[in-house]
Amino acid sequence: MEQFDIVIIGSGPAGLAAALEIEQSGLKQIIIERENRAGGILKQCIHDGFGLHRFKKRLTGPEYAELFLKRVIEKKIPIYKNTFVTEIIEMENKSYRLTLVNSEKSLFEIEAKALILANGCRERTAKQVFIQGTRPAGVYTAGTAQYFTNILGYLPCKKCVILGSGDIGLIMARRLTLEGAKVVGVYEVKDTPSGLSRNIAQCLDDFDIPLYLSKTVTKIHGDKRVEAVTVQKVDLNLNQIPGTEEIIACDGLILSVGLVPENELAKSLGVELDTHTKGPMVNQSLMTSKEGIFSCGNALHVHDLVDFVSESAEIAAKGGIRFVQNKGEEELIHVEFDEKSFLYIVPQKINLLDIEENIHFYFRSKKVLKNVSVVIRTGDTIIFKKFYHNMKPPEMETISVNLKNVLQNKEICFELKEGVST
Amino acid sequence: MKKMICIVCPKGCEMQVDVNDGISVVTGNACIRGKEFAINEILHPMRTFQSTVKTIFPELPMIPIKTDDVVPKEYLFQIIEEIAGIEIKDKLKCGDIIIQNILGTSVNIVSTVDMYLYF
Amino acid sequence: MIAKYYQFDIIINKPIICTEENNAIKLEGEVSSWQEVIIAGKVAAKSKYRGVINKITVKGITVPSFQRPNFTDNIIEGQRPDVLIIGGGVIGAAIARALSKWEIDLMLVEKECDVAMHASSRNDGMVHPGITHPGSLKAKMNIRGNEMFEDLAKELDVPFKRTGMFILFNSWLEYLFGSTFIIRNAKKNGAKGVKRVKVKEIRKIIPNIPSDIVGGVTAPTTGVCPPYEMTTALAENAIMNGLKLSLETAVINLVETNNEITKVITNRGTVYPKVVINAAGLFADEIAAMANDQFFTIHPRKGEIALLDKNKGDLLNTIVSQVSANLLKSDTKGGALVKTAEGNILVGPTAFEQPYKEDYSTDYTNINALLEVKLPIIKGIEKGDVITYLAGTRAATYKEDFIIEKSKKIKNLIYAAGIQSPGYASSPAIAEEIERITIQLLKEKREINKKKNFMSVRKGIPNLKLLSKQERGELISKRRDYGHIVCRCEEISKGEIIDAIHATIPALTLDAIKRRTRAGMGRCQGGFCTPLIAQIMVEETGKNMLELTKKGDGSNLVSKFTKS
Repeated sequence: MEQFDIVIIGSGPAGLAAALEIEQSGLKQIIIERENRAGGILKQCIHDGFGLHRFKKRLTGPEYAELFLKRVIEKKIPIYKNTFVTEIIEMENKSYRLTLVNSEKSLFEIEAKALILANGCRERTAKQVFIQGTRPAGVYTAGTAQYFTNILGYLPCKKCVILGSGDIGLIMARRLTLEGAKVVGVYEVKDTPSGLSRNIAQCLDDFDIPLYLSKTVTKIHGDKRVEAVTVQKVDLNLNQIPGTEEIIACDGLILSVGLVPENELAKSLGVELDTHTKGPMVNQSLMTSKEGIFSCGNALHVHDLVDFVSESAEIAAKGGIRFVQNKGEEELIHVEFDEKSFLYIVPQKINLLDIEENIHFYFRSKKVLKNVSVVIRTGDTIIFKKFYHNMKPPEMETISVNLKNVLQNKEICFELKEGVST
Repeated sequence: MKKMICIVCPKGCEMQVDVNDGISVVTGNACIRGKEFAINEILHPMRTFQSTVKTIFPELPMIPIKTDDVVPKEYLFQIIEEIAGIEIKDKLKCGDIIIQNILGTSVNIVSTVDMYLYF
Repeated sequence: MIAKYYQFDIIINKPIICTEENNAIKLEGEVSSWQEVIIAGKVAAKSKYRGVINKITVKGITVPSFQRPNFTDNIIEGQRPDVLIIGGGVIGAAIARALSKWEIDLMLVEKECDVAMHASSRNDGMVHPGITHPGSLKAKMNIRGNEMFEDLAKELDVPFKRTGMFILFNSWLEYLFGSTFIIRNAKKNGAKGVKRVKVKEIRKIIPNIPSDIVGGVTAPTTGVCPPYEMTTALAENAIMNGLKLSLETAVINLVETNNEITKVITNRGTVYPKVVINAAGLFADEIAAMANDQFFTIHPRKGEIALLDKNKGDLLNTIVSQVSANLLKSDTKGGALVKTAEGNILVGPTAFEQPYKEDYSTDYTNINALLEVKLPIIKGIEKGDVITYLAGTRAATYKEDFIIEKSKKIKNLIYAAGIQSPGYASSPAIAEEIERITIQLLKEKREINKKKNFMSVRKGIPNLKLLSKQERGELISKRRDYGHIVCRCEEISKGEIIDAIHATIPALTLDAIKRRTRAGMGRCQGGFCTPLIAQIMVEETGKNMLELTKKGDGSNLVSKFTKS
């Protein structure tokens, strides 16, 4: 059985960035990829706007992935493609045994001292948002529609309704329109859009595609192929308002109703999950509750920009390297936060024995806010404060703080304060 | 007065452009690129363009492409028509030109994928 | 003869005309709601007539006839089978398999593009223990069918699990009466092992039942078996033994002369069978009417089902329902939590009357109500665990019992009709009985012998995920495609999908592949694998992407090539 220091699961933007980081340490690693090509979801994200933070360039998805993939190939970092992890078992010596399956090597096992889970996220489906009616052809998640359109070159529909104003939904509205389909409208159950403002401008407004807020699709019609959908207004508690039903003729329904970290492997290992992010609970080196198992990218929590996915992968990789080279002790405290203000904060825990370097926090606000300050408090002392003109749930925020010698009573708490108060 | 969302970066600044005696005054932008975008948007809106073209290779039946610079917004649908008949018969690298000077814009249609990496 | 049935005036307060036809009571008139149609039918069912033909209409509601293929050809024109079975559900398939043991020319027509497209792929897959309706054909067939099921599943390579079932009670009074009632029924029917169980015993098997449960009844012979797989397996085994299966073939009319069916006209040609078996499920009444022999009406009783994520599968390893007194009186059990053979927990089905036989849409209020009532039976499952939901309709008659008999009027017509719950569990027994009737009828015309080379064993597509590591590894080394995982949620390989496409009954639609292999049935509901399966379908069938469908004609997966 082949032994590795670190095994990375997934060769998307997270996995590739982690691999390049690990390569510098000289540790023995391998990437496991279930698809036939590396690059993850970026392969089908052919639009631009990636890499503005990291490379100060407007790259397309494939271009962004290739910047990493080229180096991974140059450095001869091995990737098992078309390979599926069917089981991971924790061994007595605290290492992990992975059972893999592929065509060439059949069913085989490898062992790793540390694992980096970089296996991304998946889309919520029509059923998960409780859309009723029939089950005809023509109901696709935005990602599936994107695969058909961009990878295979086929339009999934001629005239469609898009439910959900998440970024992929907006991007698909533009893609489908450009390639010759009619997008009747984008419907959003919430009273604010889920995607970035610039995508509303350049994907909807540019093409005169209407965006309807506080309206959702409740029913699908048509036995064989979608013939229409029922849309309905919802109140502030997102309950459907009877009598507001409208039937919209279309031959497709595209859903962009949220992403969920793919955490089946993490669950099978008994990794503790966060109900807010639906991903694992991690400390500042992105190690989960299981020693030696790290999580990064969208498998950890859903990011808004790929640049931060790569960044988190590098943090996890550094953590993995340190873990393999010198298993450190842990003394964990929880990062407290005001649940009324924040959707989530990652990392959820701080290892007090490892706070020499800056800690990167990622978070999202719970609602659209203007002129607020994020405050980090320990005891009665404010150790960090940052002012934001705008804060919106679709936009993930990130801050970097050094906590060395400042934590009192082993406590850390995130709060939001209105205005510029001192 | 015209309100707009800046599409230069993910920040998406809400900007306002006031034109007085031919002079545009931009407010709400957080950076200089936003100001440039806003003024352009009033005079001649420009956009980037991405799509796919077909290939003869079964492993990669379509490849992603883009314009290597912004093009006038009103050209987007014309460009889609221009590229419909293209069929890639040779392996391309990222940035290789597929159509030069599309619609006389001095902008090129280029591949955004390195096909050598895949097969 | 006009018999005015006195109760109608009181209950419905609308003029209903009652006549007698084929020894059944026929109702005509117009009422204002479907509920009234059902009430009238139920009242009439209490009469001494052998069946109820309910032609009452509802103002403003047009009930469509069955959906049929929109093309015609001559593919089966002029065929003269000994036996023609109408309907490719589990009943038609089981009958086909039973009759394929005999030296006869056998044909089955199914209007859909695959077998098991209606009730047989839209139920909970439960093999009932036979604890209801003593004295009925339902009870008799259920007990016998349950006994036959395990061996049949083994022969046909379909997963079967004898999970047992627990019926829970949360009030002592209901427990006392309910359990007595169930145990008495079970005794009358001959269902084995049905007895009271203490809460302590139940908790050993289902640890997370609510705290207010006072006791339960166990029915250990209850099992589960995927119904679409069983139907496919039965039909494939029959084909191995000579059955001609004609899909997308709808019966348009039957020509009857001197009380004998001489011709069966379909959209794919006219067939001249010696014997016709009506296993047309929801449309068995329409087929009977074509032979001028209608003596019953099918009223579609709809049921909705929700499926939970496999990752909660470990919370239940049996079937559990919680029964209240009024449920005991109803025609169906009213749903349960079922651990399916596939490993998911299934919730439902509900049961309610509505006019449309092929309306499989689900309803927000119903699904919500179902989940609110059923999910609390086990702690640890919640609404967020639902990955999909679906609906099906039961082919119920007003007499609420199976019709398994030779026609009283048409010499060469046999009925396997009105097969509702527990029809799936009963299917092997119904087939056995129909086989007996059919062979007897054929023997009146000529000598019939059993085949000497009947092949009783059928091998299904291997499910690699369920094999041992060694077996799985060996299979992959023989067929490399078994090592290429396509459906990540259910861990289904390219090889399994290719096998389904080239199976005895080829799976040529996305849904057919899903029913054969489970690819696309998991938590992402085909989000990742649909385009990959579509590509495999293109490779294996030579079809163009634009021709591929989800479930037959008109359900194309994609609309247009972008660069043409």
